[in-house]
Amino acid sequence: MEIALLAFFAIGYFVLAGADLGVGMLLPYLGRTPEERGRVLASITPFFLTNEVWLVTTVGVLIGAFPVLEGELFSGLYLPFLALLLGWITRDAGIWLRGRMDRPGWRSLCERAVVAGSWVAVLSWGFILLGMGDGFTVGLGALVAVPVAVVLFAAQGLSLAGLRLDGAPLERARRIAGPLGGRTVYALTSIVMTVACLLAGARLPLAENLADPATLALLTPSILVLTPLLVASQVWLWWLFGRAQVRQ
Amino acid sequence: METLDLARLQFALTSGAHFLFVALTLGLATLLAIMQTRATLTRSDVHMRMTRFWGRLYVINYAMGILTGLVMEFQLGMAWSGLTHFAGNVFGASLAMETLVAFFIESTFLGLWIFGWDRLNRWVHLGVFWVVTITAYASAYWILVANGFLQNPVGAEVVDGSLRLTDATAVLVNPEALLPFGHVLSGAMVTAGFFLAGVSAYHLRRGTAEVEFFRRSLRIGVFTTLPALLVNAALGGVQFSFVQPMKTAVFGGRDADVARLQAEAAALHGPGDYVPPILPTQLGAMIMLIVFTVLLAVSGLSVLLAPFRRAVLGARLWHLLLIAMIPLPFVSMIAGWVFREVGRQPWMVEGLLKTEDALSDLSPGTMVFSLITLATLSVLLMTLNTWFVARSARQGPEKPVTGPAPAEPVRVPVLTF
Repeated sequence: MEIALLAFFAIGYFVLAGADLGVGMLLPYLGRTPEERGRVLASITPFFLTNEVWLVTTVGVLIGAFPVLEGELFSGLYLPFLALLLGWITRDAGIWLRGRMDRPGWRSLCERAVVAGSWVAVLSWGFILLGMGDGFTVGLGALVAVPVAVVLFAAQGLSLAGLRLDGAPLERARRIAGPLGGRTVYALTSIVMTVACLLAGARLPLAENLADPATLALLTPSILVLTPLLVASQVWLWWLFGRAQVRQ
Repeated sequence: METLDLARLQFALTSGAHFLFVALTLGLATLLAIMQTRATLTRSDVHMRMTRFWGRLYVINYAMGILTGLVMEFQLGMAWSGLTHFAGNVFGASLAMETLVAFFIESTFLGLWIFGWDRLNRWVHLGVFWVVTITAYASAYWILVANGFLQNPVGAEVVDGSLRLTDATAVLVNPEALLPFGHVLSGAMVTAGFFLAGVSAYHLRRGTAEVEFFRRSLRIGVFTTLPALLVNAALGGVQFSFVQPMKTAVFGGRDADVARLQAEAAALHGPGDYVPPILPTQLGAMIMLIVFTVLLAVSGLSVLLAPFRRAVLGARLWHLLLIAMIPLPFVSMIAGWVFREVGRQPWMVEGLLKTEDALSDLSPGTMVFSLITLATLSVLLMTLNTWFVARSARQGPEKPVTGPAPAEPVRVPVLTF
């Protein structure tokens, strides 16, 4: 049950926030002018915070239900997690602060922070997802894992862009999708992302590292009760503000 | 410097940076909730505009708080895996609850609040912000349950080399969690109160046209600080009955007691140094208390002056004093944390796990790189936050709309309103 909950929140993060990271990575490709880039960023701004909370809760479930594993994983992959943090924070700072000063130079700086931060975060994820199964070290498998991660996140980002954007950025996003409809593509990339996430997670020794039953007896029911509420609050947010963003 | 010292320094800098934002957010959320409640109940335009203005500052500050908070969540597993190994069954569960109960809901509802201005029914919008406020308190509570457990490990027993939960209620009502929770909350109210008063005083001193706006804001700030300071002091005093004996002995400079406690600890736990770093511990407590005294004096004076319109509008020296007070609560809050955290060394979990045994197996090189990058980022975020909050505060509120709104070109949404 704890494993299922962990998977639920992890998948939520990779599918939802993975798209934001993909859009961030491809910002220079999708938006050629400052105005276009502004609109591309606008498509992810309302949701990026509420998407990334899924990772915060994934780590929360990990710390709560698999504490020993969490320590070993995070300390074993210290540098990749550090890089993830640095990239993530840089990207977020770029998004939050871009609108704070009405100057082209400032906006351009923030955009670069978003791009650089997104790339560093995605590259880190490549290392981390690979490292989950190799005794928490990273070897030559990184040469494969990292490009795969880049493709996965970029694809997820492009398919989200295909739903949210308009004008020239939309055309650039759709160029790769071909004849398939926007929603189909999004569903496809999301499924691939989910499978990749599950494959990586399956290599973690989760069942052997469950927390003490006394803890789980209280923690797991709490999480089960809370999860529908959390999902409902997010659905409300999307329903209210997604309709303005989603293009048919 | 050894890896242990580097890791401790990193944690101190990153958690200190995070807490600076939290200190303002917790209190400001409360004041905003009250402002918006009044605005919704009375349909008062000035109160709605006050909510928007102070809310803008709140959002900027909250954003930087999130970013530094992310570091905290990851850092414990990264650098202190010995802690999750030993105490994960209790400590981990509290942190898990914080992410689920508090942070997830808080962020989602904050998103609803930011983008829901003028879109949600005004009562729903108000309710949304109350959820944000209450989940902020919940966040603080769960973090203090975790930290309180480290200071006073109740409700658990050591089985096969790690802690196992035996009494969840004891963990949840641990005096070392509840008392600091009230103490931090009231401290946050002091911080927000002086922030409101100081920024308002700045505008009034400059001869702003928004007289009613800032007169009301100043008064809210001032009248918050005095009760908050008194509650804060009371809870701080009560805490001394529950705090580790070594911590109070060092604080009081009672060398004989320190020596005695050291001997007792060595007898119980084996040879070692069981005395915390004396200078930072004493300085932390002293600064906290000195700043408190200054704030209390200014608050008392301000409460006497604030009812008088002429003073609020024209007492320029008083305005200067209030502006100068803005950073002081932050200093006091950090000093208090230094006292609390340094004063419990060498223990990570009091009496059970030493800090040096909680450290992950990391190379000094990794730790140096980590410290430099995270410290740089923290300083950058603090600088940006101060710059943008100050800038936004100086700009003052938007002009009230008097006629029909002019047609606006499509604007890129930013995280503001």
